[in-house]
Amino acid sequence: MSEDELSTEELRKRLGDLEQENKVLRERIAQVDRDRAEYLQNVSHQLVAPLNAIKWHIENLTGARIGVDRAKKVLRSVYSQATLVVHLAKNFNLMSNLEADHALKKLKEPLQEIELCRLLINLADDFQPLAWDRDIKILVHKDHFDNAPPVLVMKPLISQVFSNIIENAVKYSDQETEIVIEGKYVKSTDSVYVSVQNHGISLDPDHAKRVFDRGFRSPEAERKYPAGTGFGLYIARRIVEIHEGTIAASTRDGWTVFEVTLSVKGLKGKARLRE
Amino acid sequence: MNRKTILLIDDEQSFLEPLADALQFEGHRILKARTGHEALEILKQERVDLVTIDIMLDPGEDLQDEVDSHSTGLFLCEEITHKYPKIDAFCISVVSEMRIIRKIESLGIRFLRKGETPLRTVLDMIRSRLTGIAYSTERDKNPRLK
Repeated sequence: MSEDELSTEELRKRLGDLEQENKVLRERIAQVDRDRAEYLQNVSHQLVAPLNAIKWHIENLTGARIGVDRAKKVLRSVYSQATLVVHLAKNFNLMSNLEADHALKKLKEPLQEIELCRLLINLADDFQPLAWDRDIKILVHKDHFDNAPPVLVMKPLISQVFSNIIENAVKYSDQETEIVIEGKYVKSTDSVYVSVQNHGISLDPDHAKRVFDRGFRSPEAERKYPAGTGFGLYIARRIVEIHEGTIAASTRDGWTVFEVTLSVKGLKGKARLRE
Repeated sequence: MNRKTILLIDDEQSFLEPLADALQFEGHRILKARTGHEALEILKQERVDLVTIDIMLDPGEDLQDEVDSHSTGLFLCEEITHKYPKIDAFCISVVSEMRIIRKIESLGIRFLRKGETPLRTVLDMIRSRLTGIAYSTERDKNPRLK
């Protein structure tokens, strides 16, 4: 066989390999397109559902189809649906900036000292009307937070962490159950620990690790609430990581538990995000 | 119009509440199902005149092995068409996949997009369907439109 023939043979082989590679890439692009379409449909579903509720409630109010007592309840429901839309819109905005390290600077917020207990009570108030829809009660055990000093954090982001965890707990809790929020100061690490516990989906150890992955949804979550995006807990994890804290999920004694630990000094003196 | 029994199948309370309020105001008896399994159980036990069906819905524990939560409503549309042909049905969902919408409409079930359809329109359609006057997708079966 001549050198030219060998070269042609080699070229044919390479061409074949490239065609195969091209086919694989096209399949991947098609999969990404399908995933994106599903994601957009889920985003649309999440935003449309509460907005639709608001519109229809208003139609009932203006059409005088409900009495005064019922109208008060409806207005509370309208308020909670609006709260949910704001919460979701913040998540979708955060998603674009959390995806890449180079975009993290866009998240820059002044560091603030905040009392986690107060923040959690406010969030519980925000989500309680939504939780009442399925007779779920949100309890913040205030006394457990005694002696917990404020933590130095970017408040809007940390608020979104707990907002996502609580919204998740409301969404996946069984009817007529409680969501229990507790916290304490951990002297040894000079940090504040918070746990959010609910009765709903039990997580096996594998799912408990993956639940913070971008887009991951456990099969049970997918079944119970098909329109989810799997981004809420991913956003929570990324924000906690930026604050150099820890976040974990587990199932213990029938409770699904989400735990977050944030250092009291937070990002004080650290260069990241502050340049 | 006589009092009718209407089954609302949806897992979102935010959707069920205003629709239930409005239909109760019109004098109807309202039943609610949050999963596919619950819906089928109610249909077995109650005499229902009309159902509204969401597409993306928890199938419920007894159905989870045979139905995917993204198409539970489609499964219910097929079940209702075959097992309860006298029950009128509307599908009200945010689903935009044309394959699913065409399939639902091929079953003779009207598809309405959640978020785009005013409540007044839904109520008019339900009223018309219950009285057999208009909005029917099956004109041939409606003697007044012949």
